[in-house]
Amino acid sequence: MSTYTRLEFGLSIFLVILFLIPVGVIIFVAEESPFHQVSGEPVNEAVLATGITVTSVKDTTWNLPGAIGGKIYVLTDNTGEIVTVSTQSFDSGEAREAAIRLYNAHPVGHGKPVGSLVVLGQHLVYVTPANSNILARLAPELKKKVLP
Amino acid sequence: MSEEQTSQSNGLPSKKVLGLFALAMINVAAVLSIRNFPSMAVYGWSCIGWYIIGAVMFLIPISLAGAELATGWPQGGGVYAWVKQAFGEKGGFTALFCEWSNNLVWFPTVLSFIASTLAFALTPELANSPWYMFSVMMIAFWGTTAIAYFGEEISTKFSNVGVILGSIIPSVLIILLGVWWMSSGAAIVLPPFTLAAIVPTINFSTLPFFATIVLLFAGMEMAGFHALETKNPQRDFPKAMALSAIIIVVCTVLATLAIAMVIPADQLNLASGVMQAIEYFFTAAGVPWLVAPMAVLITLGGVVSLAAWLIGPAKGLGIVAEEGNMPPLFDKTNKYGAPVAVLLIQALIGSLISLLYVFLPSVNQAYWILSAMTVELLCIVYVLVFASVIKLRYSQPNTLRPFKIPGGMIGIWFVGGLGMFGTLFAFVVGLMPPSYFTTNGFVYVGSVLLGTFLLAVPPLIFLKFKKASWCKPAGGVR
Repeated sequence: MSTYTRLEFGLSIFLVILFLIPVGVIIFVAEESPFHQVSGEPVNEAVLATGITVTSVKDTTWNLPGAIGGKIYVLTDNTGEIVTVSTQSFDSGEAREAAIRLYNAHPVGHGKPVGSLVVLGQHLVYVTPANSNILARLAPELKKKVLP
Repeated sequence: MSEEQTSQSNGLPSKKVLGLFALAMINVAAVLSIRNFPSMAVYGWSCIGWYIIGAVMFLIPISLAGAELATGWPQGGGVYAWVKQAFGEKGGFTALFCEWSNNLVWFPTVLSFIASTLAFALTPELANSPWYMFSVMMIAFWGTTAIAYFGEEISTKFSNVGVILGSIIPSVLIILLGVWWMSSGAAIVLPPFTLAAIVPTINFSTLPFFATIVLLFAGMEMAGFHALETKNPQRDFPKAMALSAIIIVVCTVLATLAIAMVIPADQLNLASGVMQAIEYFFTAAGVPWLVAPMAVLITLGGVVSLAAWLIGPAKGLGIVAEEGNMPPLFDKTNKYGAPVAVLLIQALIGSLISLLYVFLPSVNQAYWILSAMTVELLCIVYVLVFASVIKLRYSQPNTLRPFKIPGGMIGIWFVGGLGMFGTLFAFVVGLMPPSYFTTNGFVYVGSVLLGTFLLAVPPLIFLKFKKASWCKPAGGVR
């Protein structure tokens, strides 16, 4: 039976730690989005504040446990860019976290999920495409609602 | 099944159990995912254009490059053996390690998919419970690791049956329901087909999605890790690449279109979990009773995909350890020839990351950054593979390659160059943060690059500390 040197054990432990360092640091660096009650309709308020045009709005309830309703906004700006924003409120932090996990569990291939998911208190805001001037303009307004 | 035996470098017999079909199914298991269909169906007809981009810039080049490399250098280790031939041990070890470490960050994603899909067959509310999620994730993860423990023969049988039941049959069912939907005269939610409709919108907003599309077919090299167990690699690899590519493309494109024709795009929100889309689809088609069995089959498909990615790179890393590039601790194989030490370390790290993924609240942004890292790591792997297939035409022109990319040097530069361009471009745009990100851009890019570096650098450290005693003498006993 082989006996392993300190170097070998050290390198093995180092390998495990090396994986946990980036994961831990990133979780530490990324900002939290605690579950809290956000009053009103944050997307609608952000749209009004930024002067982006709402092309259509309709009600929607996602087929997820704990989802209690939201809106689908189709937004456009003066450049003609079109963005679809779907919002949904959840009745508990667990239900919202489950929806976030579901989103992250659906990457395309080995890549990233489609669109961008914004977490605002009890709301999830799903925006496609993930990169757009409209979302960049809405972001400062939406960020005001992230923390209680 | 007739079996031949040859000796591995560790002296253990390596059963030659894999034929053309089994090789093709390994690739299909790694690449074909029903999970992708609803996400892509949102794009309507233009999903065809996106798939064409993915096929031209990645699927075709990696299939051709993989076929040439696997037939020219049919040693075990897959990308490790191929890149090592071109760029030495550092290059080969780095390529393999990037693929392996990308997996460790990706595992919680697919495990979470498995658990939430199974919950849909039982009680969807279960998915809200972190304890249910973690328990199922661990059962799937350690169960798949246990299958890998029993060696190639068992895992191949599991893969063959699982991929047919869990990926191909559900895809075909979705396609048939789509055909029935069209022929029944029911309303099709897509606008009338035009050639212009299949052209995707490519602009600044959709560039990050381009990176995703390029890697949509990642995993086509997976069969290469099983070269030692392949009966006739030089004959079977090219055919397996072609067969798997055809199955993957046909199932993916037709099933996505079937979903896009039936489900309105606004019902596909939140990249609508695949089961939410399937439920809508099957209810509309009048077969809601099929939803729960489909959930079970798709769960199985998820497990088979997990198995393909879990076993292949681990086998490669086992071979790296056998060659003395890692401490002997990593070079532990059992009587079935499975690299148990690597499998165990992989399962431990994957379990710890899964624990953080499930129990830490508000991991949304963090996991996005981790996903970005997995994209960057995969890009490194494929850039090295494409660079290798080009370089080896110059450095080893006389090595017999039963399959050669046609067109001589122009052909190899065209195919390898196209693949390399696609993956390099994906690497660059993969660094773009989404427009909404509460972390500033520099922190985002810095985090992704630092994380990618940390997960790619261990091979250089292992090689730096490499000792002569890590290498096995001929005969396999250290």
